[in-house]
Amino acid sequence: MESEVVEAELVLPTHLSFKKVQMYEKYPKGQSRGRHWKHLKQILQAENLQNYPPDEPNYVNIESPPSMHPSVKICDITGLEAPYHDPRTNLRYANTEVFKQIRALPNEYVQRYLALRNAAVVLK
Amino acid sequence: MPFISQIQRQSDYAYFPSDTPIVIDNGASYFRIGWAGENEPRVIFRNIVQRPRHKGTGETVTIVGDHDPALLRYFDCTRSGPRSAFDNNVVYQFEIMEYILDFGFDRLGANGSQIDHPVLITECVCNPVHSRSKMSELLFETYGVPSVAFGVDAAFSYKYNQRHGICNEDGLAICPGFNTTHVIPFVAGEPVYKGCTRTNIGGYHVTDYLKQLLSLKYPHHMARFTWEKVEDLKMEHCYIAPTYASETRLFQKGTEEAEDKTRVWQLPWVPPPVEEAPSEEEIARKAALRERQGQRLRDMAEAKRSSRINELENELRGLEFLLLQLEQVQAHEIPNFLRETGYHSRQEIEASAHKVTLSLRKAKGEPKADQSEAEDKTDSSSEKYPLISIPDEMLTPEQIKEKRKQIFLKTTSDGRQRAKQKRLEEESERERRNQLDEERRLENPELYLEQTRARYKELSERVEQRKRLKTNGNQTNGNSGGVGRGERLSAAQRERMRLLTTAAFDRGKGEDTFGARDEDWQLYKLMSKDNDDDDDGPEPDEVELARISSRLQEIDRTFVPKSEAETSQPGSEVLKSRPLTQEDFKIVLGIERFRCPEVLFNPNLVGIGQAGVDEMAGVSIRRLPEKDEELEKRLTSSILMTGGSCLYPGMCERLEAGIRMIRPCGAPIKIVRALDPILDAWRGASAYAASAQFPQQTFTRMDYFEKGEDWIRGYKFRYTL
Repeated sequence: MESEVVEAELVLPTHLSFKKVQMYEKYPKGQSRGRHWKHLKQILQAENLQNYPPDEPNYVNIESPPSMHPSVKICDITGLEAPYHDPRTNLRYANTEVFKQIRALPNEYVQRYLALRNAAVVLK
Repeated sequence: MPFISQIQRQSDYAYFPSDTPIVIDNGASYFRIGWAGENEPRVIFRNIVQRPRHKGTGETVTIVGDHDPALLRYFDCTRSGPRSAFDNNVVYQFEIMEYILDFGFDRLGANGSQIDHPVLITECVCNPVHSRSKMSELLFETYGVPSVAFGVDAAFSYKYNQRHGICNEDGLAICPGFNTTHVIPFVAGEPVYKGCTRTNIGGYHVTDYLKQLLSLKYPHHMARFTWEKVEDLKMEHCYIAPTYASETRLFQKGTEEAEDKTRVWQLPWVPPPVEEAPSEEEIARKAALRERQGQRLRDMAEAKRSSRINELENELRGLEFLLLQLEQVQAHEIPNFLRETGYHSRQEIEASAHKVTLSLRKAKGEPKADQSEAEDKTDSSSEKYPLISIPDEMLTPEQIKEKRKQIFLKTTSDGRQRAKQKRLEEESERERRNQLDEERRLENPELYLEQTRARYKELSERVEQRKRLKTNGNQTNGNSGGVGRGERLSAAQRERMRLLTTAAFDRGKGEDTFGARDEDWQLYKLMSKDNDDDDDGPEPDEVELARISSRLQEIDRTFVPKSEAETSQPGSEVLKSRPLTQEDFKIVLGIERFRCPEVLFNPNLVGIGQAGVDEMAGVSIRRLPEKDEELEKRLTSSILMTGGSCLYPGMCERLEAGIRMIRPCGAPIKIVRALDPILDAWRGASAYAASAQFPQQTFTRMDYFEKGEDWIRGYKFRYTL
């Protein structure tokens, strides 16, 4: 290892005296161990929240409800107010200049702009 | 950079007695660890882990937090990005969490055989029991921690500010964090989780939005927008507009105010080296070089030619010598004599001698024409082809054969003659036309030039049109949306399709006469695929075009013939090859400055349908178990903003305006920012852990194993001291 790296103590030591079980003992090298953790979705499913009274607060029911405010429609490119919507690309746009621009955009960019507001076409 | 990690290793770990708790604020963006009772955390670092491969040794190493990026050049980080233990604001990957805790305790100076201090660690509101129990298991089993307590960061921050008189006993804590935003109502100094709301939006989304927008706007500089850099930009430049619509209108009008609000980041830009026009000397040098190369090629060709001539001459001499020898040999000895030469008869030798002479002549560059001239001379036909005019009956079979040969030779030579004649005529015609042109030019040079140009333009357009028709069916380039089958075919292909379809239909009940006439069979020729490229020589238009363009080049120096590439692809090529200027290296932050933080108030900008921060406050109050107007007034007159994402300028005003809209008219509203929105959570926790009541809030390893999961689920921290 380079001296700079050692000096900065960049790398976490593999053996730490204050640990009762070391990392290399828990996860021995060379053994495939697959996925040993749950996604948040799985965690929440395992909570069995349906077995508890609904007025008891939990991670799922404290989430905010859908917004009641009218959603603001802004131009995907410039961020200005967007009164128009291009049916071909599905992008919202503010004026003719932006329209020209979006018509010249390659499809990849159109999809990336749409992905920003979670409206892109996702192929599965 | 407004925020820097502190990762120096502490040396005073041993001085703390074993009942001094260790306080950890385990936030999704930063990890802070320190001692209870102190005012500042000892160690702060980003809550991320990278596991790159060391380039030298090839081993996989663990790097926790953010380090000097220059040091990372020794590592191959391509396959492992920075990873976080958090999904939303819940810890779910405890392997990563373990690396982070390792690093945190290590930098705090721990060196004993276990961590012999109680630990207070923060968690999210209503942490799922799986996450909480896994965390305690990790702390108890791996580090040997004697007892553990879990608290909510926003609550600690609220309590800390309450103690400093910033907010009251009853109030709302609004906490926009890294992954999520919480609103927690406090009644009598305790958080009421029933009234709590969470929207899954936070600083992460703001930075990500800004990063994506900038890299879409400036695709050239995509590599410059690293996460860290964009985070810096966000902290330095982003603000929250009083109302989004009014702020954008300022920018739309292009007012001076908007210009003031626009920030420009100039990337380092080096002007590309200007290509100087080559000097006279340079041109001369290049010409000389080219000349020299040309000379060399010519020399080589000359040498090759002379060697070939030599060869041929030698061969010819050999053959002549052979013929001379043959004359001295008796007739019956000829086959014997010729056996070793490879020839069978005298005629054969003569023929090959003739062939060699011809190729020798060709190699020497003597005109081939003298052959035909020779023919011309002797072309009184009667003496050359004597048998032609004699009727067949008077000839022997051999003579008839000979006669046929002569007829063939005569017709071919006649054909050649005619072609030559035609060529000559064409040449003279062209000459005549050029002469005519020349005369017209001399008469009125300007008029002539104009006419020629007009003619050139007309012709080139016509040729162009024909070419397009041939290759592309019609003039729309296929991208206009219509993609019908017919539109994509060229004219020839379409004709072929038409023929095929008509041929496919039965021709009716009458007598089938197909094939009776010769023209019918022509159909198959038209249908065959080879017909597609109808290369029936250059069109007359094209010939004329070539003539005119060469003529124009002669008389008009400025004339440049249109090349094919130019006419077919206008515009786009020019745009691509334009050299980048200083302007292109300017990153302009205009609307983005307030567009990105706007997602906190309108999460639907990034496709999240939940309520924004201001709306959440209203939801939170509605969710409280009992309706109490007095309490609601008390809550809204003590609203505390804490957490990293409330640092934007304008946040306070916007939030007040938003909450005022959803509260009844005249309701008291007071919004304050925490003393230090980022560190107050840790400070509150530290103060709490130092108090005498803290040990009652903790649970031990024994409790953890004896009381079971349901107890851990019900575990609730009391914040009132």
